[in-house]
Amino acid sequence: MRFAHKYSTKLALAVAMMAMAMCRAQAQEMQSAEAARMIEHGKDIFKTKVTCQFCHKWDGSGDQGYGGNATSLRKTQLTPAQVAATVKCGRPGTGMPFHDPFAYTDKRCYGVTRAELGNDMPPEPYAFLNSDEIDAVVKYLFAKVIGRGPSTYEECVEFWGSETRQCDPMKD
Amino acid sequence: MRILSSIVILSGSLLAGSALTPASAADMTFERALNANKEPQNWLLYYGNYQGHRFSPLKEINTDNVKNLKLVFAVALGGLESGGRYAFGSLEGTPIVDGGVMYVTNGWGSVYAIDVSSGTRGMIKWKFDPGIDRAWAGDVACCGVDNRGVALWKDKVISIALDGRMFALNKATGEKVWERKIADPALGETITMAPLVVRDLAIVGPAGGEFGIRGFIDATDLNTGQQAWRTYTIPGPGEPGNDTWKDGEQHWKHGGGSVWETATYDPDTDTIFQGIGNPGADWDPQYRPGDNKWAESVLALNPSDGKIKWGFQYTPNDPFDFDEISEHPIIDAKVNGENRKLVIHAARNGFFYALDRTTGGFIFGKQYVDKLNWTTGLDPKTGLPANYDPKSDVQVYAPGTHGMRGEPLATVCPSHFGAKNWEPAAYNPTLNMLYIPSIEGCDGLETVAQKDFADQGGTLKPRDRFSGGSFKLTSRLYGSLKAVDPTTGDIKAAVRLDFPNYAGALATAGNLVFLGHADGSFIAYDAKTLNPAWSFSVGTGINAPAISYAVNGKQYVAVLAGSRQSPFTMQNDPSVKYSATTSMLFVFGL
Repeated sequence: MRFAHKYSTKLALAVAMMAMAMCRAQAQEMQSAEAARMIEHGKDIFKTKVTCQFCHKWDGSGDQGYGGNATSLRKTQLTPAQVAATVKCGRPGTGMPFHDPFAYTDKRCYGVTRAELGNDMPPEPYAFLNSDEIDAVVKYLFAKVIGRGPSTYEECVEFWGSETRQCDPMKD
Repeated sequence: MRILSSIVILSGSLLAGSALTPASAADMTFERALNANKEPQNWLLYYGNYQGHRFSPLKEINTDNVKNLKLVFAVALGGLESGGRYAFGSLEGTPIVDGGVMYVTNGWGSVYAIDVSSGTRGMIKWKFDPGIDRAWAGDVACCGVDNRGVALWKDKVISIALDGRMFALNKATGEKVWERKIADPALGETITMAPLVVRDLAIVGPAGGEFGIRGFIDATDLNTGQQAWRTYTIPGPGEPGNDTWKDGEQHWKHGGGSVWETATYDPDTDTIFQGIGNPGADWDPQYRPGDNKWAESVLALNPSDGKIKWGFQYTPNDPFDFDEISEHPIIDAKVNGENRKLVIHAARNGFFYALDRTTGGFIFGKQYVDKLNWTTGLDPKTGLPANYDPKSDVQVYAPGTHGMRGEPLATVCPSHFGAKNWEPAAYNPTLNMLYIPSIEGCDGLETVAQKDFADQGGTLKPRDRFSGGSFKLTSRLYGSLKAVDPTTGDIKAAVRLDFPNYAGALATAGNLVFLGHADGSFIAYDAKTLNPAWSFSVGTGINAPAISYAVNGKQYVAVLAGSRQSPFTMQNDPSVKYSATTSMLFVFGL
């Protein structure tokens, strides 16, 4: 009985540990699913909601054109917090728009207001973003764009899908 | 008995139905196009007539009763899908009306035939969707997903799509009869303009001046669906004007000269007048020393073979991106007591021009925009900018208005968006007044040395942007509507607008001028005073010109609405920052 009890205790412990391990694996799986979902959300914002790609190009490599001289995000040295602050507040004196609807209505951005910025006020965005959305864009950029070398055909297809000719010029 | 009465009732309702349905409209002929003003109930051509007037001879709606004008129906359209660099397509089209059926397009090139004969409802009879690869074409549209409308020919509707194809559609059913690939997004070319049909030819050209294209004007034989001719707007070796590209590196091959607004046509001289866009690269004139013909010009061409009769260049070696693609109306008028055959142009560079349309000779020019700083005026003999230096291959114009390579941001007025961009003016022949909707204000330009394309030893690939710099808005832009006497260039009336205008005007014989605005206001102005006489808010930005037509003797005014305004032009304007786009047709009547 005592032995049986001891045995059953060990068994219970093992079962419990297995269960915990499974939970951890499940949690990790859920976590990575959540991270992937967030990256996908960030991509959707980058691609369509505020069309960051209009100026920065789809691969974030930067551009000259009707969006201005947009910087290369692939080569940026900024930290996630700095990228988030740039998305939120834009870059005064450049064409990079702000995305917090209350930016420059008080001193939350760089300690200055719209009136103080004058002509250096960054442009209005195509759409405003909340902090979760900004977080998602930053996660997307650090997962798929920032710190990467020149973009590849595979990355292009991942961004645009395979139903378009968009990536054909990169096949060579 | 019961069955019989049902049949009687059914056949009765069918008869009633057919009585309401307009008799199938006559085929569109060259004769009808030449005499479009004799069918005021229809709006048969892009500009209302070949001469580019955007004038309706209808006057049931006039200055006395316009206060009673009301919305009679609206129709929701599509085309809001995202693609390439754009979150949605926009509406910039001019509706065409023939026999109670209206033909409109959305930004992605879908065509809608809408039965408007009831006067109380617009019923979509058919829709043609070209099924374009939106990412592919939208990624090389410089400034929006746009389509400015269709043309009619015989029993067909002739349309285009952003991806460079032209379609002939069965006017009754919308079924495609043929398609032809004209422009190629693989080279950065797209098509946004409404075709001009002269006899059996449809004439268009490509946008893409920001992507290193070599522009052209192209005619399709509508009987065969094959090319009839193509004339490049940037001349090649051996063609007159090629020597105005002096870089020695064959940069003319990517010289721009895009074409994205419909030409006017003069039946008397059998000539089309096509406005030509910016040279490439936009803001780096050092990349392309020389005058860069025929960028920033008007070309007079024979519509049958595309041969150039003459050209007139507005801004040689343009460093400002002053595309002169917009309309060139045709009028006969007395100038300084002399009868003249004029072709006129409210230019993006801020001047109004009157040219002799038989020779291309400059008659006079006058500033019509509020602020202009890039030149001190025009040479009264040549029409060239006064600050043009014939001894220099790279034009500086007024110092400080364009930053050359390595120089700081310079401020140009009007802004590079122009005084008048593509948005068409309207001309009232009775009052002899041209109504010019404009963008007013200044912006900053910064030049970056343009890199070469791979075919010229550089790193740029086709479809890469090619603008040699960028712009920055340093102050808020606004707009204006000005009534200009085209025989003197004098401004007879003016109204300041809260927003830069990208919609274009309609003039009517009721002595009204209709104009849409970025905040959704649709306003009728008194044609003599430009005092607002009536206004209605459609609740979304209007970037398209209105037209007028009649059904059963009743006049209507129609306009497409649905364009979120560019943050670049609406910068710092809190009243439109939350405006949303949609895709709607609005029709007004008494």
